[in-house]
Amino acid sequence: MVQTNKLTFQYKKDEHTFSFPDINLKENENVLILGKSGIGKTTLLHLLAELLKPTTGKVTINNLDLDSLSNNTLDIYRGKHIGLVFQKKHAVQSLSVIDNLKARLMFSKRKIDTVAIERLLEQLGLLDYKNKRILALSEGQLQRLGIALSVVHCPKVVLADEPTSSLDDENCTVVMELLLEQAKQTNANLIVITHDQRVKPFFTNTITL
Amino acid sequence: MEHNLGAIDMVIGAKGSPLQLVLASVLHLDNPTGNISYNEAKKIAKSRMIKSAVPISYGDNYKGFRIVGTTNKFYNFYHATLNKGKKNKKPMEVVLGATVAKQLKLNVGDTFFSSHGMVENDIDIHNEKLTIVGILKPTKKVIDRLIITHLESIWEVHNHHEHQDNNEDEVHSTNHNTENYTIEHEDHEEKQITSLLVSFKNPRGLLTFPRKINKSTNMQATLPKYELERLSEYTGIGFTTISWIAYLILLISGMTILISLYKMVKERAFDLALLRSYGASNLQLIKMVAYEGIIIATIAFVIGFLLVKIGLRIVFNFMNSGYKQHILQEVSFYNILNAGLLVFVMILLSITLAIYPIIKMNISTILSHEK
Repeated sequence: MVQTNKLTFQYKKDEHTFSFPDINLKENENVLILGKSGIGKTTLLHLLAELLKPTTGKVTINNLDLDSLSNNTLDIYRGKHIGLVFQKKHAVQSLSVIDNLKARLMFSKRKIDTVAIERLLEQLGLLDYKNKRILALSEGQLQRLGIALSVVHCPKVVLADEPTSSLDDENCTVVMELLLEQAKQTNANLIVITHDQRVKPFFTNTITL
Repeated sequence: MEHNLGAIDMVIGAKGSPLQLVLASVLHLDNPTGNISYNEAKKIAKSRMIKSAVPISYGDNYKGFRIVGTTNKFYNFYHATLNKGKKNKKPMEVVLGATVAKQLKLNVGDTFFSSHGMVENDIDIHNEKLTIVGILKPTKKVIDRLIITHLESIWEVHNHHEHQDNNEDEVHSTNHNTENYTIEHEDHEEKQITSLLVSFKNPRGLLTFPRKINKSTNMQATLPKYELERLSEYTGIGFTTISWIAYLILLISGMTILISLYKMVKERAFDLALLRSYGASNLQLIKMVAYEGIIIATIAFVIGFLLVKIGLRIVFNFMNSGYKQHILQEVSFYNILNAGLLVFVMILLSITLAIYPIIKMNISTILSHEK
Protein backbone atom coordinates (compact mmCIF):
# COMPACT_ATOMS: atom_id res chain seq x y z
CA MET A 1 0.00 0.00 0.00
CA VAL A 2 1.59 3.20 -1.18
CA GLN A 3 0.03 6.61 -0.89
CA THR A 4 1.31 10.08 -1.68
CA ASN A 5 -0.37 13.28 -0.73
CA LYS A 6 0.28 16.59 -2.55
CA LEU A 7 3.99 15.97 -3.04
CA THR A 8 6.09 18.96 -4.09
CA PHE A 9 9.83 19.32 -4.27
CA GLN A 10 12.26 22.18 -4.72
CA TYR A 11 15.99 21.46 -5.23
CA LYS A 12 17.02 24.89 -4.05
CA LYS A 13 15.00 27.79 -2.79
CA ASP A 14 13.65 30.06 -5.54
CA GLU A 15 14.09 27.33 -8.11
CA HIS A 16 11.43 25.51 -10.08
CA THR A 17 9.02 23.58 -7.88
CA PHE A 18 8.06 20.09 -8.99
CA SER A 19 4.55 19.09 -8.01
CA PHE A 20 3.33 15.54 -8.47
CA PRO A 21 -0.12 13.98 -8.77
CA ASP A 22 -1.22 11.81 -5.86
CA ILE A 23 -0.57 8.08 -6.04
CA ASN A 24 -2.82 5.63 -4.25
CA LEU A 25 -1.97 1.95 -4.60
CA LYS A 26 -3.79 -0.88 -2.90
CA GLU A 27 -2.19 -4.25 -2.20
CA ASN A 28 -0.71 -5.95 -5.30
CA GLU A 29 -1.52 -2.92 -7.44
CA ASN A 30 1.05 -1.66 -9.86
CA VAL A 31 1.41 1.65 -11.62
CA LEU A 32 3.28 3.04 -14.58
CA ILE A 33 4.36 6.66 -14.41
CA LEU A 34 5.10 8.09 -17.84
CA GLY A 35 6.81 11.36 -18.49
CA LYS A 36 9.30 13.19 -20.67
CA SER A 37 12.88 13.88 -19.64
CA GLY A 38 13.34 16.72 -17.19
CA ILE A 39 9.84 16.56 -15.82
CA GLY A 40 11.05 15.18 -12.49
CA LYS A 41 10.61 11.43 -12.90
CA THR A 42 13.74 10.47 -10.95
CA THR A 43 12.90 13.14 -8.37
CA LEU A 44 9.51 11.51 -7.81
CA LEU A 45 11.12 8.09 -7.50
CA HIS A 46 13.61 9.39 -4.94
CA LEU A 47 10.78 11.05 -3.04
CA LEU A 48 8.93 7.74 -2.97
CA ALA A 49 12.03 6.00 -1.61
CA GLU A 50 12.50 8.97 0.71
CA LEU A 51 16.03 9.43 -0.65
CA LEU A 52 14.87 13.03 -0.96
CA LYS A 53 12.67 14.70 1.61
CA PRO A 54 9.61 16.33 0.03
CA THR A 55 9.27 20.10 0.42
CA THR A 56 5.58 19.62 1.17
CA GLY A 57 3.29 16.59 1.28
CA LYS A 58 4.04 13.10 2.49
CA VAL A 59 4.67 9.49 1.46
CA THR A 60 2.92 6.68 3.31
CA ILE A 61 3.78 3.00 2.93
CA ASN A 62 1.49 0.51 4.72
CA ASN A 63 0.08 3.43 6.71
CA LEU A 64 3.52 4.46 7.92
CA ASP A 65 4.43 8.08 7.27
CA LEU A 66 8.06 7.91 6.09
CA ASP A 67 8.57 11.53 7.03
CA SER A 68 8.08 10.68 10.68
CA LEU A 69 11.15 8.40 10.74
CA SER A 70 14.58 9.58 11.86
CA ASN A 71 17.42 9.36 9.36
CA ASN A 72 18.82 6.17 10.82
CA THR A 73 15.55 4.27 11.05
CA LEU A 74 14.69 5.55 7.59
CA ASP A 75 17.92 4.01 6.22
CA ILE A 76 17.05 0.71 7.82
CA TYR A 77 13.41 0.88 6.70
CA ARG A 78 14.44 1.67 3.14
CA GLY A 79 16.94 -1.17 3.09
CA LYS A 80 14.35 -3.63 4.35
CA HIS A 81 11.17 -2.67 2.57
CA ILE A 82 12.04 -0.86 -0.63
CA GLY A 83 13.67 -2.33 -3.73
CA LEU A 84 15.20 -0.05 -6.32
CA VAL A 85 15.81 -0.93 -9.98
CA PHE A 86 18.11 1.39 -11.90
CA GLN A 87 18.63 2.07 -15.54
CA LYS A 88 22.19 0.93 -16.10
CA LYS A 89 24.29 0.36 -13.05
CA HIS A 90 22.83 -2.19 -10.75
CA ALA A 91 25.45 -3.90 -8.71
CA VAL A 92 28.76 -3.42 -6.94
CA GLN A 93 31.46 -3.99 -9.53
CA SER A 94 33.98 -5.68 -7.29
CA LEU A 95 31.63 -8.45 -6.17
CA SER A 96 30.33 -11.48 -8.02
CA VAL A 97 26.63 -11.91 -8.87
CA ILE A 98 25.84 -14.07 -5.86
CA ASP A 99 27.95 -11.94 -3.51
CA ASN A 100 26.00 -8.87 -4.58
CA LEU A 101 22.77 -10.58 -3.61
CA LYS A 102 24.26 -11.74 -0.31
CA ALA A 103 25.52 -8.22 0.41
CA ARG A 104 22.07 -6.87 -0.36
CA LEU A 105 20.59 -9.19 2.27
CA MET A 106 23.38 -8.57 4.74
CA PHE A 107 23.02 -4.79 4.67
CA SER A 108 19.23 -4.95 5.02
CA LYS A 109 19.75 -7.34 7.97
CA ARG A 110 17.83 -10.20 6.37
CA LYS A 111 18.71 -13.86 6.70
CA ILE A 112 21.02 -15.01 3.91
CA ASP A 113 19.26 -17.98 2.35
CA THR A 114 21.45 -19.34 -0.43
CA VAL A 115 18.77 -21.75 -1.66
CA ALA A 116 16.27 -18.91 -2.08
CA ILE A 117 18.86 -16.78 -3.85
CA GLU A 118 19.65 -19.59 -6.27
CA ARG A 119 15.96 -20.17 -6.93
CA LEU A 120 15.56 -16.48 -7.76
CA LEU A 121 18.61 -16.56 -10.05
CA GLU A 122 17.20 -19.59 -11.80
CA GLN A 123 13.87 -17.83 -12.42
CA LEU A 124 15.78 -14.92 -13.93
CA GLY A 125 18.04 -17.20 -16.01
CA LEU A 126 21.17 -16.15 -14.14
CA LEU A 127 22.04 -19.31 -12.21
CA ASP A 128 24.92 -20.16 -14.59
CA TYR A 129 26.38 -16.75 -13.94
CA LYS A 130 26.22 -16.73 -10.17
CA ASN A 131 29.99 -16.66 -9.70
CA LYS A 132 30.67 -14.28 -12.58
CA ARG A 133 31.94 -10.76 -12.13
CA ILE A 134 29.56 -7.92 -12.87
CA LEU A 135 31.71 -6.73 -15.78
CA ALA A 136 31.33 -10.10 -17.48
CA LEU A 137 27.53 -9.75 -17.81
CA SER A 138 25.63 -8.45 -20.84
CA GLU A 139 23.22 -5.52 -20.60
CA GLY A 140 20.16 -7.78 -20.51
CA GLN A 141 21.72 -10.00 -17.86
CA LEU A 142 22.65 -6.95 -15.82
CA GLN A 143 19.10 -5.64 -15.94
CA ARG A 144 17.84 -9.04 -14.79
CA LEU A 145 20.36 -8.96 -11.94
CA GLY A 146 18.99 -5.50 -11.11
CA ILE A 147 15.54 -7.05 -10.75
CA ALA A 148 16.95 -9.81 -8.58
CA LEU A 149 18.59 -7.23 -6.32
CA SER A 150 15.36 -5.26 -6.02
CA VAL A 151 13.24 -8.22 -4.88
CA VAL A 152 15.67 -10.58 -3.11
CA HIS A 153 14.87 -9.10 0.31
CA CYS A 154 11.05 -9.34 -0.19
CA PRO A 155 10.31 -5.59 -0.15
CA LYS A 156 6.92 -3.94 0.15
CA VAL A 157 7.55 -1.61 -2.76
CA VAL A 158 9.66 -2.05 -5.89
CA LEU A 159 10.62 1.21 -7.56
CA ALA A 160 12.04 1.00 -11.08
CA ASP A 161 13.69 4.01 -12.73
CA GLU A 162 13.79 3.68 -16.51
CA PRO A 163 14.45 -0.08 -16.30
CA THR A 164 14.08 -0.67 -20.04
CA SER A 165 15.52 2.39 -21.75
CA SER A 166 18.84 0.80 -22.65
CA LEU A 167 17.35 -2.53 -23.75
CA ASP A 168 16.22 -3.80 -27.15
CA ASP A 169 12.58 -4.78 -27.74
CA GLU A 170 13.11 -8.43 -26.92
CA ASN A 171 14.93 -7.76 -23.65
CA CYS A 172 12.41 -5.02 -22.83
CA THR A 173 9.58 -7.56 -22.90
CA VAL A 174 11.57 -10.14 -20.91
CA VAL A 175 12.53 -7.63 -18.24
CA MET A 176 9.03 -6.18 -17.84
CA GLU A 177 7.48 -9.64 -17.57
CA LEU A 178 10.04 -10.70 -14.98
CA LEU A 179 9.59 -7.49 -13.04
CA LEU A 180 5.83 -7.90 -12.86
CA GLU A 181 6.14 -11.55 -11.97
CA GLN A 182 8.68 -10.99 -9.19
CA ALA A 183 6.64 -8.13 -7.73
CA LYS A 184 3.63 -10.41 -7.67
CA GLN A 185 5.56 -13.25 -6.04
CA THR A 186 6.82 -11.02 -3.24
CA ASN A 187 3.46 -9.24 -2.80
CA ALA A 188 5.07 -5.88 -3.54
CA ASN A 189 3.65 -2.78 -5.18
CA LEU A 190 5.54 -2.13 -8.41
CA ILE A 191 6.04 1.44 -9.53
CA VAL A 192 7.78 1.90 -12.88
CA ILE A 193 8.80 5.37 -13.94
CA THR A 194 9.83 5.75 -17.57
CA HIS A 195 9.53 7.65 -20.83
CA ASP A 196 9.61 4.34 -22.70
CA GLN A 197 6.27 3.89 -24.48
CA ARG A 198 6.97 0.16 -25.04
CA VAL A 199 6.21 -0.45 -21.38
CA LYS A 200 2.64 0.90 -21.61
CA PRO A 201 0.86 -2.37 -22.59
CA PHE A 202 2.10 -4.09 -19.40
CA PHE A 203 0.08 -1.84 -17.10
CA THR A 204 -3.58 -1.13 -16.50
CA ASN A 205 -2.78 1.78 -14.21
CA THR A 206 -0.95 4.68 -15.81
CA ILE A 207 -0.18 8.17 -14.55
CA THR A 208 1.22 10.71 -16.99
CA LEU A 209 3.25 13.56 -15.59
CA MET B 1 76.04 4.55 19.29
CA GLU B 2 75.75 5.52 22.94
CA HIS B 3 74.11 2.20 23.57
CA ASN B 4 77.47 0.66 22.70
CA LEU B 5 79.29 2.41 25.52
CA GLY B 6 78.01 0.00 28.09
CA ALA B 7 78.89 1.38 31.50
CA ILE B 8 82.15 3.01 30.44
CA ASP B 9 82.39 6.56 31.80
CA MET B 10 86.00 7.38 31.03
CA VAL B 11 88.91 6.03 29.02
CA ILE B 12 92.55 6.55 29.93
CA GLY B 13 95.11 6.00 27.21
CA ALA B 14 98.21 7.41 25.56
CA LYS B 15 98.22 11.05 24.55
CA GLY B 16 96.81 11.76 21.14
CA SER B 17 93.43 12.39 19.64
CA PRO B 18 90.74 11.85 22.29
CA LEU B 19 88.24 10.85 19.63
CA GLN B 20 90.65 8.27 18.30
CA LEU B 21 91.13 6.87 21.78
CA VAL B 22 87.37 6.51 22.20
CA LEU B 23 86.86 5.00 18.77
CA ALA B 24 89.69 2.55 19.33
CA SER B 25 89.10 1.52 22.94
CA VAL B 26 85.34 1.78 23.31
CA LEU B 27 83.88 1.19 19.87
CA HIS B 28 86.86 -0.86 18.64
CA LEU B 29 86.85 0.89 15.29
CA ASP B 30 90.11 2.84 15.05
CA ASN B 31 93.75 2.09 15.81
CA PRO B 32 94.98 2.79 19.34
CA THR B 33 96.82 6.01 20.19
CA GLY B 34 99.67 4.10 21.81
CA ASN B 35 100.39 2.25 25.03
CA ILE B 36 100.44 3.28 28.66
CA SER B 37 102.20 1.73 31.62
CA TYR B 38 100.14 -0.89 33.39
CA ASN B 39 101.75 0.19 36.65
CA GLU B 40 100.62 3.77 36.37
CA ALA B 41 97.20 2.69 35.29
CA LYS B 42 96.92 0.52 38.37
CA LYS B 43 97.83 3.47 40.57
CA ILE B 44 94.99 5.48 39.08
CA ALA B 45 92.62 2.58 39.45
CA LYS B 46 93.10 2.68 43.21
CA SER B 47 91.29 6.03 43.47
CA ARG B 48 88.26 6.01 45.73
CA MET B 49 86.07 7.67 43.12
CA ILE B 50 86.39 4.77 40.74
CA LYS B 51 83.91 1.94 40.85
CA SER B 52 85.78 -0.26 38.44
CA ALA B 53 88.78 0.15 36.19
CA VAL B 54 89.47 -2.44 33.55
CA PRO B 55 92.71 -2.57 31.57
CA ILE B 56 92.52 -3.57 27.93
CA SER B 57 95.26 -4.38 25.54
CA TYR B 58 95.04 -5.35 21.95
CA GLY B 59 96.85 -5.49 18.68
CA ASP B 60 95.79 -8.79 17.19
CA ASN B 61 92.86 -10.10 15.28
CA TYR B 62 91.44 -13.31 14.02
CA LYS B 63 89.83 -13.05 10.57
CA GLY B 64 89.23 -9.36 11.23
CA PHE B 65 87.66 -9.72 14.66
CA ARG B 66 89.70 -7.96 17.33
CA ILE B 67 91.22 -9.88 20.17
CA VAL B 68 91.00 -7.89 23.39
CA GLY B 69 93.20 -8.75 26.32
CA THR B 70 91.50 -7.72 29.54
CA THR B 71 90.31 -8.93 32.91
CA ASN B 72 87.05 -10.66 33.69
CA LYS B 73 85.57 -7.36 34.88
CA PHE B 74 85.33 -6.36 31.22
CA TYR B 75 82.15 -8.43 30.86
CA ASN B 76 80.39 -6.33 33.49
CA PHE B 77 80.48 -3.20 31.30
CA TYR B 78 78.15 -4.90 28.83
CA HIS B 79 76.25 -7.16 31.22
CA ALA B 80 77.49 -9.98 29.03
CA THR B 81 76.72 -13.52 30.13
CA LEU B 82 77.86 -16.85 28.81
CA ASN B 83 75.81 -18.83 26.36
CA LYS B 84 78.16 -21.82 26.30
CA GLY B 85 81.30 -22.95 28.08
CA LYS B 86 83.07 -20.96 30.80
CA LYS B 87 84.92 -17.69 31.18
CA ASN B 88 88.60 -17.56 30.33
CA LYS B 89 90.85 -18.13 33.37
CA LYS B 90 94.23 -19.07 32.04
CA PRO B 91 96.30 -17.30 29.40
CA MET B 92 95.66 -18.46 25.83
CA GLU B 93 92.01 -19.16 26.60
CA VAL B 94 89.49 -16.99 24.77
CA VAL B 95 85.78 -16.23 24.92
CA LEU B 96 83.96 -15.26 21.72
CA GLY B 97 81.28 -12.63 21.27
CA ALA B 98 78.02 -14.00 19.84
CA THR B 99 78.49 -12.53 16.36
CA VAL B 100 82.07 -13.77 16.09
CA ALA B 101 81.05 -17.31 16.93
CA LYS B 102 78.14 -17.19 14.52
CA GLN B 103 80.00 -15.69 11.59
CA LEU B 104 83.13 -17.79 11.90
CA LYS B 105 81.16 -20.91 12.88
CA LEU B 106 83.42 -21.55 15.85
CA ASN B 107 82.54 -23.53 18.93
CA VAL B 108 83.86 -24.21 22.41
CA GLY B 109 87.01 -26.34 22.20
CA ASP B 110 88.08 -25.03 18.78
CA THR B 111 91.54 -23.50 18.48
CA PHE B 112 93.02 -20.87 16.18
CA PHE B 113 96.10 -18.72 15.60
CA SER B 114 95.76 -14.97 15.85
CA SER B 115 97.35 -12.61 13.37
CA HIS B 116 99.07 -9.35 14.09
CA GLY B 117 97.35 -6.01 13.53
CA MET B 118 93.76 -4.86 13.34
CA VAL B 119 92.88 -6.10 9.87
CA GLU B 120 92.75 -9.63 8.59
CA ASN B 121 96.02 -10.79 7.04
CA ASP B 122 97.73 -14.09 6.31
CA ILE B 123 101.33 -13.00 6.58
CA ASP B 124 101.86 -11.98 10.19
CA ILE B 125 100.48 -14.94 12.08
CA HIS B 126 101.48 -15.72 15.67
CA ASN B 127 102.59 -19.20 16.67
CA GLU B 128 100.58 -19.42 19.89
CA LYS B 129 97.44 -21.44 19.73
CA LEU B 130 94.35 -19.86 21.31
CA THR B 131 91.64 -22.14 22.67
CA ILE B 132 87.96 -21.18 22.79
CA VAL B 133 86.52 -21.89 26.22
CA GLY B 134 83.27 -19.94 26.06
CA ILE B 135 80.77 -18.12 23.85
CA LEU B 136 78.71 -15.12 25.02
CA LYS B 137 75.01 -14.49 24.60
CA PRO B 138 74.14 -11.75 22.08
CA THR B 139 74.06 -8.29 23.72
CA LYS B 140 73.61 -6.08 20.64
CA LYS B 141 76.64 -4.21 21.94
CA VAL B 142 80.20 -3.95 20.73
CA ILE B 143 81.23 -7.03 22.71
CA ASP B 144 79.31 -9.27 20.28
CA ARG B 145 82.07 -8.67 17.76
CA LEU B 146 85.07 -9.12 20.02
CA ILE B 147 87.28 -12.01 21.03
CA ILE B 148 88.09 -11.70 24.72
CA THR B 149 91.09 -13.15 26.40
CA HIS B 150 93.26 -12.52 29.44
CA LEU B 151 95.77 -9.67 29.37
CA GLU B 152 98.53 -12.22 29.76
CA SER B 153 97.67 -13.88 26.47
CA ILE B 154 98.38 -10.71 24.55
CA TRP B 155 101.63 -10.16 26.44
CA GLU B 156 102.68 -13.73 26.01
CA VAL B 157 102.04 -13.72 22.29
CA HIS B 158 103.97 -10.53 21.81
CA ASN B 159 106.74 -11.13 24.35
CA HIS B 160 107.61 -14.29 22.60
CA HIS B 161 108.51 -12.21 19.62
CA GLU B 162 110.63 -9.89 21.72
CA HIS B 163 112.34 -12.68 23.58
CA GLN B 164 113.26 -14.38 20.39
CA ASP B 165 114.71 -11.13 19.13
CA ASN B 166 116.63 -10.71 22.38
CA ASN B 167 118.10 -14.16 22.11
CA GLU B 168 119.74 -13.25 18.89
CA ASP B 169 121.27 -10.03 20.22
CA GLU B 170 122.11 -10.78 23.82
CA VAL B 171 124.07 -13.56 25.35
CA HIS B 172 123.15 -13.41 29.01
CA SER B 173 119.81 -15.10 28.83
CA THR B 174 121.01 -18.68 29.02
CA ASN B 175 118.50 -20.16 31.43
CA HIS B 176 115.77 -18.06 29.92
CA ASN B 177 113.43 -20.83 28.97
CA THR B 178 113.26 -22.50 32.36
CA GLU B 179 112.61 -19.23 34.13
CA ASN B 180 110.17 -18.07 31.55
CA TYR B 181 107.14 -18.06 33.79
CA THR B 182 108.78 -16.23 36.70
CA ILE B 183 110.20 -13.65 34.36
CA GLU B 184 106.74 -13.11 33.03
CA HIS B 185 105.61 -12.32 36.52
CA GLU B 186 108.46 -9.96 37.27
CA ASP B 187 107.89 -8.28 33.96
CA HIS B 188 104.33 -7.68 34.99
CA GLU B 189 105.35 -4.46 36.68
CA GLU B 190 106.70 -2.98 33.46
CA LYS B 191 103.87 -4.19 31.29
CA GLN B 192 102.11 -1.96 28.87
CA ILE B 193 98.39 -1.78 28.21
CA THR B 194 96.50 0.08 25.51
CA SER B 195 94.00 1.78 27.73
CA LEU B 196 92.08 1.69 30.97
CA LEU B 197 88.29 1.71 30.92
CA VAL B 198 86.79 3.38 33.96
CA SER B 199 83.36 3.66 35.51
CA PHE B 200 82.81 6.05 38.41
CA LYS B 201 80.99 5.62 41.65
CA ASN B 202 79.15 8.86 41.09
CA PRO B 203 78.97 11.42 38.27
CA ARG B 204 81.14 13.88 40.17
CA GLY B 205 84.17 11.95 38.99
CA LEU B 206 83.37 12.96 35.42
CA LEU B 207 84.09 16.58 36.26
CA THR B 208 87.34 16.42 38.17
CA PHE B 209 89.07 13.21 37.26
CA PRO B 210 89.89 13.75 33.57
CA ARG B 211 91.42 17.17 34.23
CA LYS B 212 93.63 15.77 36.98
CA ILE B 213 95.00 13.02 34.76
CA ASN B 214 95.52 15.22 31.74
CA LYS B 215 97.49 17.70 33.85
CA SER B 216 99.55 15.53 36.11
CA THR B 217 100.41 12.48 34.00
CA ASN B 218 101.65 11.80 30.49
CA MET B 219 98.41 9.96 29.77
CA GLN B 220 95.13 11.35 28.61
CA ALA B 221 91.69 10.76 30.03
CA THR B 222 88.66 11.26 27.87
CA LEU B 223 84.91 10.86 28.24
CA PRO B 224 83.39 8.64 25.54
CA LYS B 225 79.96 10.18 25.83
CA TYR B 226 81.33 13.66 25.27
CA GLU B 227 83.56 12.64 22.38
CA LEU B 228 80.78 10.76 20.63
CA GLU B 229 78.47 13.72 21.04
CA ARG B 230 81.14 15.82 19.37
CA LEU B 231 81.42 13.25 16.60
CA SER B 232 77.70 13.24 15.99
CA GLU B 233 77.81 17.03 15.85
CA TYR B 234 80.27 16.77 12.98
CA THR B 235 78.28 14.11 11.17
CA GLY B 236 74.95 15.40 12.47
CA ILE B 237 74.07 17.42 9.40
CA GLY B 238 74.22 14.30 7.29
CA PHE B 239 72.09 12.30 9.68
CA THR B 240 69.58 15.13 10.05
CA THR B 241 69.29 15.49 6.29
CA ILE B 242 68.74 11.79 5.86
CA SER B 243 66.07 11.70 8.55
CA TRP B 244 64.33 14.72 7.03
CA ILE B 245 64.31 12.97 3.68
CA ALA B 246 62.89 9.90 5.39
CA TYR B 247 60.14 11.96 7.02
CA LEU B 248 59.41 13.62 3.68
CA ILE B 249 59.07 10.22 2.04
CA LEU B 250 56.78 9.15 4.87
CA LEU B 251 54.67 12.25 4.36
CA ILE B 252 54.45 11.65 0.62
CA SER B 253 53.46 8.02 1.12
CA GLY B 254 50.86 9.14 3.63
CA MET B 255 49.50 11.51 1.02
CA THR B 256 49.52 8.72 -1.55
CA ILE B 257 47.38 6.61 0.75
CA LEU B 258 45.07 9.56 1.25
CA ILE B 259 44.78 10.20 -2.47
CA SER B 260 44.17 6.55 -3.34
CA LEU B 261 41.53 6.20 -0.64
CA TYR B 262 39.90 9.47 -1.68
CA LYS B 263 39.95 8.36 -5.30
CA MET B 264 38.47 5.02 -4.32
CA VAL B 265 35.65 6.74 -2.45
CA LYS B 266 34.99 9.05 -5.40
CA GLU B 267 35.24 6.36 -8.06
CA ARG B 268 33.04 3.97 -6.19
CA ALA B 269 30.63 6.66 -5.06
CA PHE B 270 27.84 4.91 -6.94
CA ASP B 271 28.63 1.55 -5.39
CA LEU B 272 28.73 3.12 -1.96
CA ALA B 273 25.44 4.94 -2.56
CA LEU B 274 23.98 1.66 -3.75
CA LEU B 275 25.05 0.01 -0.50
CA ARG B 276 23.45 2.88 1.39
CA SER B 277 20.18 2.23 -0.49
CA TYR B 278 20.51 -1.40 0.61
CA GLY B 279 20.36 -0.23 4.19
CA ALA B 280 24.07 0.13 4.98
CA SER B 281 24.81 2.85 7.50
CA ASN B 282 27.41 5.56 7.05
CA LEU B 283 29.48 3.90 9.74
CA GLN B 284 29.56 0.61 7.83
CA LEU B 285 30.85 2.37 4.72
CA ILE B 286 33.44 4.27 6.73
CA LYS B 287 34.60 0.99 8.26
CA MET B 288 35.00 -0.49 4.78
CA VAL B 289 37.21 2.38 3.67
CA ALA B 290 39.18 2.30 6.91
CA TYR B 291 39.82 -1.44 6.64
CA GLU B 292 41.00 -1.01 3.07
CA GLY B 293 43.40 1.74 4.13
CA ILE B 294 44.72 -0.22 7.08
CA ILE B 295 45.18 -3.41 5.07
CA ILE B 296 47.07 -1.60 2.30
CA ALA B 297 49.27 0.26 4.76
CA THR B 298 49.99 -2.81 6.88
CA ILE B 299 51.06 -4.83 3.86
CA ALA B 300 53.20 -1.90 2.69
CA PHE B 301 54.76 -1.56 6.14
CA VAL B 302 55.61 -5.25 6.37
CA ILE B 303 57.12 -5.29 2.87
CA GLY B 304 59.04 -2.08 3.56
CA PHE B 305 60.32 -3.43 6.85
CA LEU B 306 61.54 -6.66 5.23
CA LEU B 307 63.25 -4.70 2.45
CA VAL B 308 65.02 -2.51 5.01
CA LYS B 309 66.14 -5.59 6.94
CA ILE B 310 67.44 -7.31 3.83
CA GLY B 311 68.96 -4.09 2.49
CA LEU B 312 70.83 -3.38 5.72
CA ARG B 313 72.07 -6.95 5.87
CA ILE B 314 73.48 -6.61 2.37
CA VAL B 315 75.05 -3.23 3.10
CA PHE B 316 76.58 -4.53 6.34
CA ASN B 317 78.02 -7.57 4.60
CA PHE B 318 79.41 -5.31 1.92
CA MET B 319 81.09 -2.94 4.37
CA ASN B 320 82.29 -5.61 6.74
CA SER B 321 85.12 -6.83 4.53
CA GLY B 322 87.92 -5.10 6.48
CA TYR B 323 86.91 -4.03 9.97
CA LYS B 324 84.51 -6.33 11.70
CA GLN B 325 83.21 -3.59 13.98
CA HIS B 326 80.80 -0.95 12.72
CA ILE B 327 79.15 2.14 14.14
CA LEU B 328 75.71 1.41 12.71
CA GLN B 329 73.58 -0.97 14.68
CA GLU B 330 70.71 -3.06 13.40
CA VAL B 331 67.33 -1.36 13.42
CA SER B 332 66.08 -1.73 16.96
CA PHE B 333 62.61 -2.70 18.06
CA TYR B 334 62.12 0.79 19.45
CA ASN B 335 62.83 2.34 16.04
CA ILE B 336 60.38 0.01 14.37
CA LEU B 337 57.74 0.81 16.97
CA ASN B 338 58.36 4.50 16.43
CA ALA B 339 58.08 4.27 12.67
CA GLY B 340 55.04 2.03 12.98
CA LEU B 341 53.33 4.52 15.24
CA LEU B 342 54.05 7.36 12.84
CA VAL B 343 52.69 5.35 9.93
CA PHE B 344 49.61 4.50 11.96
CA VAL B 345 48.93 8.17 12.74
CA MET B 346 49.44 8.93 9.05
CA ILE B 347 46.88 6.30 8.01
CA LEU B 348 44.40 7.49 10.58
CA LEU B 349 44.71 11.00 9.23
CA SER B 350 44.37 9.79 5.64
CA ILE B 351 41.29 7.78 6.46
CA THR B 352 39.68 10.67 8.31
CA LEU B 353 40.16 12.91 5.31
CA ALA B 354 39.15 10.25 2.80
CA ILE B 355 35.84 9.44 4.47
CA TYR B 356 34.73 13.06 4.33
CA PRO B 357 32.90 12.50 0.99
CA ILE B 358 31.04 9.56 2.55
CA ILE B 359 29.76 11.71 5.37
CA LYS B 360 28.73 14.44 2.94
CA MET B 361 27.33 11.90 0.47
CA ASN B 362 24.00 12.73 -1.14
CA ILE B 363 22.65 9.35 -2.20
CA SER B 364 19.95 10.84 -4.35
CA THR B 365 22.33 12.95 -6.43
CA ILE B 366 24.77 10.09 -6.94
CA LEU B 367 22.07 7.58 -7.84
CA SER B 368 20.40 9.96 -10.32
CA HIS B 369 23.69 10.43 -12.16
CA GLU B 370 24.26 6.79 -12.87
CA LYS B 371 25.03 7.27 -16.53
